[in-house]
Amino acid sequence: MDFAISSIIFYAFAAMALICACCVIFASNPVTSAMSMALCFAATAGILFGLGAQFLGIVQIIVYAGAILVLFLFVVMMLDIKTEEEDNSFSVFSSLLRMAPGVLVAGVFGALVFLAAIKLPGATDWNNPLCQAWNSMSELCVGKQEAAPQTEVSDFGGALPALNPAAAAKVLNPAISEEEAAAATSMPDTKLLGQKLFSQYNIAFVILSFALLAGTVGAVALSRKIRKD
Amino acid sequence: MDIPLAHYLILSGLMFSIGLAGVLIRKNIIVVFMCLEMMLSAANISLVAFSRANGVNGVPVYDAQVLALFVVAIAAAEVAIGLALIVAMFRARRTVSSAALNTLKED
Repeated sequence: MDFAISSIIFYAFAAMALICACCVIFASNPVTSAMSMALCFAATAGILFGLGAQFLGIVQIIVYAGAILVLFLFVVMMLDIKTEEEDNSFSVFSSLLRMAPGVLVAGVFGALVFLAAIKLPGATDWNNPLCQAWNSMSELCVGKQEAAPQTEVSDFGGALPALNPAAAAKVLNPAISEEEAAAATSMPDTKLLGQKLFSQYNIAFVILSFALLAGTVGAVALSRKIRKD
Repeated sequence: MDIPLAHYLILSGLMFSIGLAGVLIRKNIIVVFMCLEMMLSAANISLVAFSRANGVNGVPVYDAQVLALFVVAIAAAEVAIGLALIVAMFRARRTVSSAALNTLKED
């Protein structure tokens, strides 16, 4: 069994993200929740790095794990919230009953997404232990199925296409020659993103900055002390 | 690169549904809000994975990454407003439990 180091890192980060997400829900202390959320976002940033979106990974760390998390911790500590103690007054059964509808709805949603995604061509025929386990389990449950007739060619099957720095350099600057493009070794991720952001999406970007301004003004207006007189 | 697109989508879907479960079962509004943020960042994983999978000639579709960037910015604005609302609610009711928001419920 051979699998690349990048896929091991992906599955490690994915497991870390899911475990930390569960910790956010089940921690009784909001500070513990916030810290698990930071770890979850760090793992998400790792996955984005693995996808070749370095800029978005950095943004994920700076904005989510930096700014948003600090804001949450500020509020938790400013409000001095005691940990939830309501669970002590109820039995385990009644707290499970209270959680059942939420878990059911989320479980059905998660199962729908899972079953839709696992049907994508190439989702399970890759040489890694998770896929092999899924294949043997589904064979055990529904028997060996012959492959469904391929009606249309799907773009989304199989492994993700490899990044191509030469083509990216050509996109960035169409004037350069083939040799110069071929000499490019790393993906100019941030440059390409910035090119899109400041040309095609420039108006949306400006409107977005107004949304942020409105958010800032709104936060100040809402958290101001209202004088009674 | 050994990982198919489907695994990114499964990860994103599972993270989204964990966040959804948190929104539905937790009573502490701050934790509910953290779960909302988790749902947004799960959606971002999907966007970036599709941008990579839909790419032409090894160059990802950067429109999707621009959209993901917008999602992050809107999430930041939303957190600022939402936490200000939570502070205002705490001032008015001395609690952050969503069970305390029952003014409109007739009894």
